[in-house]
Amino acid sequence: MLVAPAMLLIFALLIWPLFYTVYCSFFKLDYLNFGGFVEWQNYTRILTDKSVYASFGVTFIVTLCSTGISMLLGLVLALWIDKRSGIMAFGIEMVGLLPWVISMMVGTMLWRWVLNGDTSLFNHVLRILGMEPIQLFNRKTEAVVTLILVMAWRTIGYSMVMILAGLKSISEALVEAARVDGANNWKVLTRIRLPLIKTPMLISAIVLTMSNFNNNTVPMVLTSGGPSNATNVITLYLYKLSFDYYKFGTASALSTLLFAVNAIMIFFYIRMVKYDI
Amino acid sequence: MIYDATAQRRKKLLRKLGGKTMELILLIVVLVVTLLPIIWGLATSFKPRRELFAYPPTFIGSSISLEHYENIFLSGFWVGVRNSAFYSGVSILLVLVLGVPAAYGFQRCRFRFKKLLFYFVVAGIPLSAGSSVLLIPNYIMMSKLQMIDRWYTLILIYAAYQIPMSIWIIRSGVESIPIAIDEAARIDGCSHAYIIFCLTPRLILPSIASAALFTFIGSWNEFIVSSVMLNDPALRSIQQVIYYFMGFFGTDWGALCAAACMAILPILIVFVLLGKMMISGLTQGAVKG
Repeated sequence: MLVAPAMLLIFALLIWPLFYTVYCSFFKLDYLNFGGFVEWQNYTRILTDKSVYASFGVTFIVTLCSTGISMLLGLVLALWIDKRSGIMAFGIEMVGLLPWVISMMVGTMLWRWVLNGDTSLFNHVLRILGMEPIQLFNRKTEAVVTLILVMAWRTIGYSMVMILAGLKSISEALVEAARVDGANNWKVLTRIRLPLIKTPMLISAIVLTMSNFNNNTVPMVLTSGGPSNATNVITLYLYKLSFDYYKFGTASALSTLLFAVNAIMIFFYIRMVKYDI
Repeated sequence: MIYDATAQRRKKLLRKLGGKTMELILLIVVLVVTLLPIIWGLATSFKPRRELFAYPPTFIGSSISLEHYENIFLSGFWVGVRNSAFYSGVSILLVLVLGVPAAYGFQRCRFRFKKLLFYFVVAGIPLSAGSSVLLIPNYIMMSKLQMIDRWYTLILIYAAYQIPMSIWIIRSGVESIPIAIDEAARIDGCSHAYIIFCLTPRLILPSIASAALFTFIGSWNEFIVSSVMLNDPALRSIQQVIYYFMGFFGTDWGALCAAACMAILPILIVFVLLGKMMISGLTQGAVKG
């Protein structure tokens, strides 16, 4: 049939691996050699490991904070651009999307160049302002904050574009009717605009949460685990487990757990994105 | 109270000016924060090597030097460009060849399990975006099938990651063509194959271009999967080449900035020319009616 080749590719590389990873998680799989069937050992090893919980904790903080900042700033910028039209609005949209479009690796590398080191631009600006230079990547809290801000920098454009599309689809007739009824700007904003852009906001919140949660490029290139595991998000933990320690069995178990978390978000994504088929 | 017209007008003018200046400040802040790393990287790539770590850092060095650009092309950057262009190009072809019939099939035909299969397609869109869950199983699978470190490894993976989004975009393009056109073509004697492979694509060229754009950006920018699946330096993608400028003996920041700017260049060109298409592709499905 028409649909068959594409679905074959999707099943082979996107769906089947999910089942395969569950299968692999029940074996001892060091250095890619199938050892014995170890039942739940891989899972117990993960669930009793304190560093896994610490890693999950960092991941949740980083994900929620960067998605929150990104949504908030995206909303503010979208509301601001909505009133303008023409070349300036379009220009700001393009500039805002730029961090999303250049690759994560390049953007993070360049941020590292700006922020890192004694002679970096960041510390130079701090010195001009009369403050002490900070070694951002040697201190725990500062490293986490930097990671959150870099991830937010990357995703603000996406939320801005989505919310702007939602705002533009609000018909002017509604706003005019509200103004005739005596609503001031604030009421129009909170009672009319915000409720009507719930769907684009929810969709971009879900997409950005998934993107930040599954992101292993930015933490790896920016801090590669941070000063003593301060920024060791769970995806980075997974990567190190597989490619530094070669414990693929445990890594498969962790992948399965991560997939369970992702599955919840995917379920809500599919609910939100309306389509007729 | 005496109504003082001049004072009222002056207050209004001041508030308007104040508002406009606030907007200007906001605009400058947004531009600076968004573009800062790119502009600083660009400025660094033209500085002579001695002045990279000069204190205080200057925006423009004493001379515009192209030594970093020369260096990167002499040390294997061109291999990365060639490989990435190859992977992206063939991925786009594969995605379109598989995706257009699939989108047409989902939109126009009726068959069993259609809803279920499309559910998998839509689920694939966020699943392949981060690819952290799929990284390990894909690696284990590829390595068991002896498909690590081949020229076709990345093409297959990139095509699989980008096909769900492309089917989504092209499907809404097909949806916008009235079915009457298909019927008119049938009456005029066109075969089914002609309608699917020649007629419909010509009518939905913007959707196809949008899908190709997303596939290109996704494949060109992808880093983690390529760094895991390839070991041979001759097969490296461009992002890997840039990452390996962070060598064992310390990072060559000048070369890195030059390489980064060259890597962004194709994306920038494509984005400036086709940016509107990208925005409309992103927001599809977000707003209905």
